[in-house]
Amino acid sequence: MSLAFDEYGRPFIIIREQERKSRVKGIEAVKASIMAAKSVARTLRSSLGPKGMDKMLQSPDGDVTITNDGATILEMMDVENQIGKLMVELSKSQDHEIGDGTTGVVVLAGALLEHAESLLDMGMHPLRIAEGYEMACKVATENLDKIKTRFEFSKEDIEPLVKTCMTTLSSKVVGRLKRPMAEICVKAVLAVADLERRDVNLDLIKVEGKVGGKMEDTRLVEGIVIDKEFSHPQMPKELKDVKVAILTCPFEPPKPKTKHKVDIDTVEKFEALRDAEKAYFTDMVQRCKDSGAELVICQWGFDDEANHLLMHQNLPAVRWVGGVEIELLAMATGARIVPRFQELTADKLGHAGSVTEVGFGTTKDKMLVIEGCPNLKAVTIFVRGGNRMVLDEIKRSLHDAICVARNLVRDNAIVYGGGAAEISCGLAVEEAADKVTGVEHYAMRAFADALQAVPLALAENSGLPPIESLTAVKKRQLEESNPYLGIDCNDVGTNDMREQNVFETVMGKKQQLFLATQVCKMILKIDDVIKPSDYE
Amino acid sequence: MMPMMGMQPQIILLKEGTDTSQGKPQLISNINACMAVVDTVRTTLGPRGMDKLIHDSRGVTISNDGATIMKLLDIVHPAAKSLVDVSLAQDAEVGDGTTSVVILAGEFLKEAKPFIEEGVHPRSLIKSFRQASVLAVERLKELAISLEDKHMEEKKDLLKKCAMTTLNSKLVSGEKEFFAQMVVDAVSKLDPSTLDLKMVGIKKVQGGGLRDSFLVDGVAFKKTFSYAGFEQQPKSFNDPKILVLNIELELKAEKENAEIRLDDPAKYQSIVDAEWNIIYDKLDKCVASGANIVLSRLPIGDLATQYFADRNVFCAGRVEGNDIERVTKATGAKVQTTVNNLDPKALGTCARFEERQVGAERYNLFMGCPQARTATLVLRGGSEQFIDEADRSLHDAIMIVRRALKHAQVVPGGGAIEMCIAKYLSEYSLQFSNKSQLFIKAYAKALEVIPRQLCNNAGFDATDVLNKLRQKHALADGSGKNFGVDVNTGGVCDTYDAFVWEPALVKVNAIQAATEAACLILSVDETVRNPKSEVPDAASGAAAQAAIAGGRGRGRGGGRGRGMRR
Repeated sequence: MSLAFDEYGRPFIIIREQERKSRVKGIEAVKASIMAAKSVARTLRSSLGPKGMDKMLQSPDGDVTITNDGATILEMMDVENQIGKLMVELSKSQDHEIGDGTTGVVVLAGALLEHAESLLDMGMHPLRIAEGYEMACKVATENLDKIKTRFEFSKEDIEPLVKTCMTTLSSKVVGRLKRPMAEICVKAVLAVADLERRDVNLDLIKVEGKVGGKMEDTRLVEGIVIDKEFSHPQMPKELKDVKVAILTCPFEPPKPKTKHKVDIDTVEKFEALRDAEKAYFTDMVQRCKDSGAELVICQWGFDDEANHLLMHQNLPAVRWVGGVEIELLAMATGARIVPRFQELTADKLGHAGSVTEVGFGTTKDKMLVIEGCPNLKAVTIFVRGGNRMVLDEIKRSLHDAICVARNLVRDNAIVYGGGAAEISCGLAVEEAADKVTGVEHYAMRAFADALQAVPLALAENSGLPPIESLTAVKKRQLEESNPYLGIDCNDVGTNDMREQNVFETVMGKKQQLFLATQVCKMILKIDDVIKPSDYE
Repeated sequence: MMPMMGMQPQIILLKEGTDTSQGKPQLISNINACMAVVDTVRTTLGPRGMDKLIHDSRGVTISNDGATIMKLLDIVHPAAKSLVDVSLAQDAEVGDGTTSVVILAGEFLKEAKPFIEEGVHPRSLIKSFRQASVLAVERLKELAISLEDKHMEEKKDLLKKCAMTTLNSKLVSGEKEFFAQMVVDAVSKLDPSTLDLKMVGIKKVQGGGLRDSFLVDGVAFKKTFSYAGFEQQPKSFNDPKILVLNIELELKAEKENAEIRLDDPAKYQSIVDAEWNIIYDKLDKCVASGANIVLSRLPIGDLATQYFADRNVFCAGRVEGNDIERVTKATGAKVQTTVNNLDPKALGTCARFEERQVGAERYNLFMGCPQARTATLVLRGGSEQFIDEADRSLHDAIMIVRRALKHAQVVPGGGAIEMCIAKYLSEYSLQFSNKSQLFIKAYAKALEVIPRQLCNNAGFDATDVLNKLRQKHALADGSGKNFGVDVNTGGVCDTYDAFVWEPALVKVNAIQAATEAACLILSVDETVRNPKSEVPDAASGAAAQAAIAGGRGRGRGGGRGRGMRR
């Protein structure tokens, strides 16, 4: 920390541990912040778009993650710099709100800051730049509203949704299988969506994975998959049309919660106690039987005696099922969760079309697949993949796609991807900038330039000559006033994104612009950084 | 101790290491220390003010709020600390103007410094400064424009203007109109007699744009921890009955230390049943009361969750205390500590209850409450620091609106009022024929720091603008008295017409507090710092290392102090 001296050359100790703090002030602080943010953005730049590359990240305890998802990369990178952390949070909040476009938002923010830097060099006030950006952001989002298209979909006609999800998936490891994967995601979302309220509770979609098998084996289970097996190896492996009882009580003699002690002083009493315990078991199993249950799912365990009895009574059972799964199962099968055997009645049972125990390859791992549930309000996407890293990445990719589908259910407006929306917004901002006098004019122009960072990166990552491709598209957009032209990343031969079927949600795009502008303003507004100097 | 003063024997009065410094140099040194602190917050003033990023052991804060910055700077210099207190006091009293007050105090000291150096007795300075502050406040009250007689709708509009002025300098300035409206709506929901700040809840949800923030005319809180079965409960109601409890609804031992001894195994089942009956009895009573929503400050267990799910009742356990309090205020429900004899009157109601997805979280919203004496702001923003800062900014705005509602008097902002008072004081000072004339003039000059700083922060030529302002304010017909800095063009404008308004109370308080702080520092001529007073503080603040560093710093300071006294 810089010391202050009085006229006697005596330093003040104004702040606690002053000599252990460092401080950057004024324009240097702004520049240093921009530098940090830019370097974070640069890391992500190569991950953008369908031809974007993945990053391999090793955590402190040696776990390796390979991913293409911006939010995940930044989170795993464990950025220490405070400004860098802002970028991480930026990506995270895009992830929370939209679920997709986490790379794009960081690249955009980085570009905005980069352009701000040159404006700062011209001597512009950082806040004027930020204000210009805000004005430009408004113009850009208004332009998005102008060029957006709506499409209608229904439970039957899912084609538009699938196409949008495919755009999201095309940059991921599952790009090869984007069509089937997109269909899985869309079906899953529509299964749990409340189309009237336009609300989707993502908790109801479970993504379960198992290492092994091919990616193609990934499928949508219209029901639940639980990582459990039947409690007794001799129980039937497949059940059809079963009535399910869901219990949250163990197959054990009930215990009072109050501390208790049973005094046994005679053999008779001991016998009585033993009989009573035995009676409990038979009683419990009998109650299950009486209610008509054909499958018992229990949140807790039960010992071998109970297990044997259940087997004997021909009542298949599953034990140690977690609370979340219990809940999903209850919702899917329409069963009520029963806390006590006394309350088990026929009307509290649920129904499942089929329950199958599935084994995988040569491993002993088994899973239960519960399908054909009457109340399809919970679904599972069952993912297969060659190794754990791929599996995790597929899960993340599917999450992105699911989020996109959800956003479309909420708001079915789309814009065209491949940088088309950015170029169009850039043109609109440039046009608007010409009508503004003052410093903001420059800032808006810078914003327009920064918007082109996305198509530039797209072209670069796809191995196209970035400047040529961008300018060509820009020219055509201007000449034909067609906002659907973008970068032809997949080398299809057309720049028209309508033909390429590359869509993105308006919601996601707007969010990117808002968030990036917001973070820029925040970073530009800081002119004083005080931190512990030994902070590495 | 440092070897010094040659052969002269030293008389040790105080404990080894005690730092005593006194006299005029000490006073000057204190002033300089204060100036150094003021320099830190100086740049945050006004709509073009910048933010500070402060990184400490508790995390990172990015803020523009004077009080927050001063607090986080962790100032140990005894004189400079009084500036922190002044800022915090302003925050507690009016909630805004925390930067202005520090800058003003600093400027008063700066103006006083040359006089002190020339040998003026601090007391005479203090006397004149106090007098000037009284005059300034009187003048300010004359200039204030009352909104008392305006009608409610109009008043709301005016309040919005005040809130906008406050938000101008904050990170959320891009959306100031949106937020000002929100703040005014929220505050006008409150009980006008108390305007209890606790009744405005601010919830922060990361993600989304600022514009996604919304106001709930009721209560909103995050979904609490839930057990299996929760998702089977209905998630929306119209006109629900709300039962608020302060008991646990869990199957558990009723008495902590009780032990049951059984000698007959046959009785075993009856004990088990008894426990179940207790909990079922409680649950039955909850349902029997006709409630659709059961909230509790204490946990609601899985059994209860499933029981309620079976009966189409929504429940939430472990709701935070202040949320519960606001629910009761809003819905008219009364917190029950037992489920026996539930009075239907103890149940609250609201127009609509809903569980809604906000960003990555699910929120419980109680809307359209009959006695809506409470409101909740749900803030959205890109990052944690961003929302935190938005929260602080809105807090300021809420305080301002609250204050302005009570004392509906405004003054033009943008440095206009300061210029006006400065002119008045410098004219007034001519009535004195003694030293006071000089001092009051200095005080008047110090007031001009506000418009000057506004210009500096915006990158304008301060001297130029200030001269323009002086010219306007000197107009004989008084038509220029509302002129202040126009940060957009770099010129001057009538800030009253431009709706840059600040509640008069903020200014009154700022002037008074700043004068007090300046006088306090001026009246100190000796600092005796006990060596011990620093050590426990430093040790508690950081690791042992910090204590060593603190010790080092003190040792050096002490040595110099003695040297200087010679």
